[in-house]
Amino acid sequence: MAELKITQTTTTPLISFDEASATLRIAGESYPENSFAFYAPILDWVKQQLQNNSTLIVELTITYMNSSSTKCMLDLLDIMEDAHARGVKVSIVWNYDPENPRSFELAEEFCEEVSFPFQIVALHP
Amino acid sequence: MDLYNLRKQFDESGMMMCFNGPFSHSIIEEIGTALRNYLAAENIAKAAVLDVFAVYVELAQNVRNYIAVREINQGEAAASIITIARWNEGYAISSGNMVLQGDAAPLCARIKEISNMTPEELKRSYKEQMRREIPPGALGAGLGLLEIARHSSAPMNCSVRKVDETYTFFSLTAFI
Repeated sequence: MAELKITQTTTTPLISFDEASATLRIAGESYPENSFAFYAPILDWVKQQLQNNSTLIVELTITYMNSSSTKCMLDLLDIMEDAHARGVKVSIVWNYDPENPRSFELAEEFCEEVSFPFQIVALHP
Repeated sequence: MDLYNLRKQFDESGMMMCFNGPFSHSIIEEIGTALRNYLAAENIAKAAVLDVFAVYVELAQNVRNYIAVREINQGEAAASIITIARWNEGYAISSGNMVLQGDAAPLCARIKEISNMTPEELKRSYKEQMRREIPPGALGAGLGLLEIARHSSAPMNCSVRKVDETYTFFSLTAFI
């Protein structure tokens, strides 16, 4: 499996996969120039990962994402939901800053879209 | 050029920041960062800063994507304006750009439709739109206006002004 590591920028989050814990971390803010172009290779990677492996945890620590990024996030959730239906063990951990209720609200809306475990965790400063 | 009068007009109308010229991604990014620093110094809640920022990003990226898709990113027509001003106890964020003559009316109708939605209707429409296939070549997900409305504390306001046979100048303001 190809390694997945994308450095964080002001408008794009860090993307990094830890094989030992089967955890894909997405952290930062997301308002790329072209969200679809940014997320396409990541979604492809996740699809492949879920074909060949039995577990994937996605840990998100996103303080802000623009509307086209939320669409890409929904695509990610749909890919995970399909895998979940095939018996792959998938889950999401969504970390949020309690001072940022928007991140919590976003997590709640995404949570409504899936049937696999989706944990929303308040980060303590 | 004496900019004093322009500046005075800005001050009197509560203008905090203004950019006029062709938008690039890096300009959108830089103004966004400056806006957040500005608002952070105002001692308002983190959520309010993010609401203003979110509306700014959607407006700016909408304009940039529109201009790219309609291929009017050359010359004078590409120049667009974005402003952030004080409004009552909150903020008014506006964008102004050229649109093709035929695009103005449907755009205004759509904004009116969205502005009349209740929060529940906005959420439902957002979810429906999120589930829609993206047409090939699209740069956005068609969610920007709904996203803006969801952060707004008053209905969006738009105005149009015919410039010539090809273009109409379109202004859109959102209130936080």
